[in-house]
Amino acid sequence: MNEFLYGVLPYIALTIFAGGTIMRYTIYERNWTTKSSEFLSKRDLKWANPLFHIGLLMAFGGHCVGILVPKFMTEAAGTDEHMYHLMSLAGGLPAAVLFLGGFLWLCQRRFAGNDRMQVNTSGMDKLLYLVLLLTIVSGTIGTVSNIPGGFDYRETISPWFRSVLMLQPEVGLMENVPLVFQIHMLSWMMTAMLFPFTRLVHCLSFPFEYLFRSHIIYRKK
Amino acid sequence: MKIKAQISMVMNLDKCIGCHTCSITCKNVWTNRPGAEYMYFNNVETKPGIGYPKQWENQEKWKGGWELKGGKLQLRSGNKLERLAKLFYHPDQPEMDDYYEPWTYDYETLITSKRKNHQPIARPRSLITQKPMEIKWGPNWEDDLAAGESARQDHNFKNIAEDITLEFHDLFMKYLPRTCNHCLNPACVAACPSGAIYKREEDGVVLVSQDGCRGWRHCIPACPYKKVYFNWKTNKAEKCIFCFPRLENGLPTICADTCVGRLRYIGVLLYDMDKVKDAASTPDKGEIYHSMLDILQDPHDPEVIKAAKDAGIPDNWLKAAQASPVYKMVKEWQVALPLHAEYRTLPMVWYVPPLSPITRRAEADVYLPDVKDMRIPLSYIAELFAAGNVAVVENVLQRLLDMRMVMRAKETGEELPRRLEYDLETYEAMYRLMGIAKYKDRFNIPAGLQEQAEDKLRELQGSCGYNCPGGC
Repeated sequence: MNEFLYGVLPYIALTIFAGGTIMRYTIYERNWTTKSSEFLSKRDLKWANPLFHIGLLMAFGGHCVGILVPKFMTEAAGTDEHMYHLMSLAGGLPAAVLFLGGFLWLCQRRFAGNDRMQVNTSGMDKLLYLVLLLTIVSGTIGTVSNIPGGFDYRETISPWFRSVLMLQPEVGLMENVPLVFQIHMLSWMMTAMLFPFTRLVHCLSFPFEYLFRSHIIYRKK
Repeated sequence: MKIKAQISMVMNLDKCIGCHTCSITCKNVWTNRPGAEYMYFNNVETKPGIGYPKQWENQEKWKGGWELKGGKLQLRSGNKLERLAKLFYHPDQPEMDDYYEPWTYDYETLITSKRKNHQPIARPRSLITQKPMEIKWGPNWEDDLAAGESARQDHNFKNIAEDITLEFHDLFMKYLPRTCNHCLNPACVAACPSGAIYKREEDGVVLVSQDGCRGWRHCIPACPYKKVYFNWKTNKAEKCIFCFPRLENGLPTICADTCVGRLRYIGVLLYDMDKVKDAASTPDKGEIYHSMLDILQDPHDPEVIKAAKDAGIPDNWLKAAQASPVYKMVKEWQVALPLHAEYRTLPMVWYVPPLSPITRRAEADVYLPDVKDMRIPLSYIAELFAAGNVAVVENVLQRLLDMRMVMRAKETGEELPRRLEYDLETYEAMYRLMGIAKYKDRFNIPAGLQEQAEDKLRELQGSCGYNCPGGC
């Protein structure tokens, strides 16, 4: 079972993630959009949306550090396990509050607010929000339950993830990981598989180039 | 000098009867789809009124268009960094209720209703939620001042010094058909974070690439005319495309073609691209109109012709520019004005301001009144078409009056007005173009890049047909 979950599924997920995204961009760019609902209802968007996105960016940054930077490097930089744990909590807990709080606020707006929001909520969206909820909640519970620091993901999950990226998955690392973290693994893989087929793709088109281009654009037909 | 060609339109408001044929034909051709029901690429407003969407002219509210900040041209909605921060929530973006909620009627019940004491009725039903709804506002709620109070909230009254009470004895109204202005300095293009909106190199039509649009929706508040719309179904921006498939074949836009009053003119203008920014940055907003005239180039001037050829403008486009009805009205006769030039987008749809009946205060036995005695206050027209510069409007209306007086004198043998700005042939030509307004005279549209197209066809000669691109 673990062999499949941590040795095969990540590759299926990442393949769908990358392949699906490329396919959508090349073949179906016409429906590549943020799917903004501001036109239908501005209510609550002013605070809920920025909070959600700030929380998301903080969580994303924290994950990058926690997963991609190996333990020996932070230790070489003079940060011991205790210090590191405190630092990750200092960033992770506020991130979780903003991310989950923003998410719930946005869901309330979407599902219990203006009726018009229905036309902006497809079946795929509902599935996505379910999976996202699972991902955010499992991540939050994992962080909170691990405040005392019993479980060091940087000796299990992080090296496993890097081994996946190196195409030599070390499934054994994941054997004694607590259930909530296992759920978190499963849910991010589901999110990755849904990614190309949902509004999530808009994160890839953050318009940095806008800062550098001229105001008026002329183009030949 | 860098010459570019622009397809441009003039609307002669003197002849607009507010029939909405333009809006309806446009709607039937372009926006009768789910997600676009509420959009009118072309709409006709009764002025005074708050318009569609509500209060679109109030840029303190919407932050549309450009402004001068320390002498430098900048989008009113902020610099690029400020604007990127608004990606998650745009405080100035209109909501559906600022336009109206589109509806249909439950016609089914008329047919399927059981036998009852009272006639069944078709209740209005929202096209968004599909639920029964109460109609509180529509795209044309103010038609012929029907909405009453909202006319007094017209934003243009804000800057007018004289008191306009809209009491019954001095009531006035006029129609204002509006489409995308296909501006030379379009704020929507500048605001698009994805670079999906662009001006077409060859004819200046402003288009939204439906592939490139990411739904960041910054174009919608940025356009001061509120002529970019958000499709709630595709979640992308849409706008008037100036019927480019028709233009490319030498046909006028559908709104212009079907105009009952025959008040729309379409033709080519040549402009100097290098001067666009300076014109948009004219310090005095009342002078922007004159700066706009300055960047429009004379298509008969040999130097301009040479520069245009260097810039790759085809011969048939040059010919069209020389015979352009729009050039005549805008630059030669100076009878057409831009709508709200103070937004600094340099709009390329021009309006001949309307004459109106004399007020009671003026003498009753004059055939043609002084422009100052007209029912529509000059200051109001000036707010719309001359950024408040009353002198500009006065001159234009005087030219229109002079034309009438010259033509009347011709029939009646009366004396000609003492001071005439133009020679008699010019007034005659004005009369022919604006009064007779033959289809052939109103539209002079060069078919798109004909010369290159002919070359393409020649390349295909001898191949086995046109059924696959480039022959088989």
